[in-house]
Amino acid sequence: MIERMKRIQADLDHLPHLHRLGALFSETVQIKVDGQEFYLVFEKGRIAQLLEGPSKKTPYRFSFVTDGAALEEFWTATPKPGFHDIFAMVKIGRAEIMGDILLLVKNLRFFKEVLALPRAQREVAE
Amino acid sequence: MSVEQITGRYLTVDVAGRTQRIYFEEAGQGRPVLCLHTAGSDTRQWRHILNDREITAENRIIAFDMPWHGKSLPPEGFLTEEYLLTTETYMETVLAVVRGLGLDRPVLAGVSMGGRIALQLAVHHPEAFSGFLAIEASDFQPAWYSIDWFHRPDAHGGEMGAALVSTNISPYAPAAERANTLWMFMQSGPGVFRGDLSFYTQDESLVGQLHRIDTARTPVHFIVGAYDFTCTPEDAQRTADQVVGSTLSIMEEVGHFPMSEHPKAFRPFFVDGLAQMPKARAVVS
Repeated sequence: MIERMKRIQADLDHLPHLHRLGALFSETVQIKVDGQEFYLVFEKGRIAQLLEGPSKKTPYRFSFVTDGAALEEFWTATPKPGFHDIFAMVKIGRAEIMGDILLLVKNLRFFKEVLALPRAQREVAE
Repeated sequence: MSVEQITGRYLTVDVAGRTQRIYFEEAGQGRPVLCLHTAGSDTRQWRHILNDREITAENRIIAFDMPWHGKSLPPEGFLTEEYLLTTETYMETVLAVVRGLGLDRPVLAGVSMGGRIALQLAVHHPEAFSGFLAIEASDFQPAWYSIDWFHRPDAHGGEMGAALVSTNISPYAPAAERANTLWMFMQSGPGVFRGDLSFYTQDESLVGQLHRIDTARTPVHFIVGAYDFTCTPEDAQRTADQVVGSTLSIMEEVGHFPMSEHPKAFRPFFVDGLAQMPKARAVVS
């Protein structure tokens, strides 16, 4: 999973439209997959740091918690219903979103597109 | 180069004591089919059906922008008022368009909040219509979010709304149509999506009323997409179960905005739905 996160970080560096969308997003987000914690430290639409947990000392604004199988399905080109979107994953009980939800919604397109970057990688590969 | 067959005009009517200048588009001839857009969007959602020469060969497809939406301006004095759509005003608006255009018992095809009002009209004013296509429609959908998120001075409500509703677009939708569908939400006027959601997520007045629909007089057909996580297939089924004699179809590769996000996948279900409606003017004794 850390390799996936590193790839998201690297790909984001080359996507100027996401830098524009995330220009005002300089916050830390926790991604928790099968209990494994990752902290994405965003700086003006880029991931300035990628930290691995566990950590009780890393403040974050919101957290996206899911399991690896759900995330892998989310990253397929045509995920099954419920696995195609982070809020849909919450609705089917395969993810939780905690923290400052309004901050997430204000930056929702940016965050959704960043988290879905591995999907785009597969589409290119296929 | 090409010129589409859609024509657009304006209708001025009084709705609830206020003058409304309503933009509508139409194409085709034959049985009138009045189409309603979703919350936070406009008539452009129906562009593919309006341009379908086979469908419009036998059907006069008409779609209009609700006041405050698309090319229908808000009413005079809007700058100092809060837009909150109500069931009564919504029904009256649809009926005013039917009367204003002289439509003889059209089929009413509504999507999402348009599907909700179609069911309300099936309960309260069935005499004005020949049948109902309730698309992505349910009796009630409470919100897990605050509708106030979508009208605030420190964020762009349209962009937030588009990002939120993208949850309900199928991954099978062509990228260009997905983008077009979201763009309409991004263009929505300030507070309009919020005002629509007030009706859609807070008005429970349809609950317990659906048994009053007489499908022998006005058939009701439900269509729902498997990727709709606002009105899920379970929500649509729960609603259809309350309308005795209604039918329901599930689109496996489609979400909440079928006619706009994935027109090719939606078309056969829409054609099938129209086939279940009365062919021409029905005689009601």
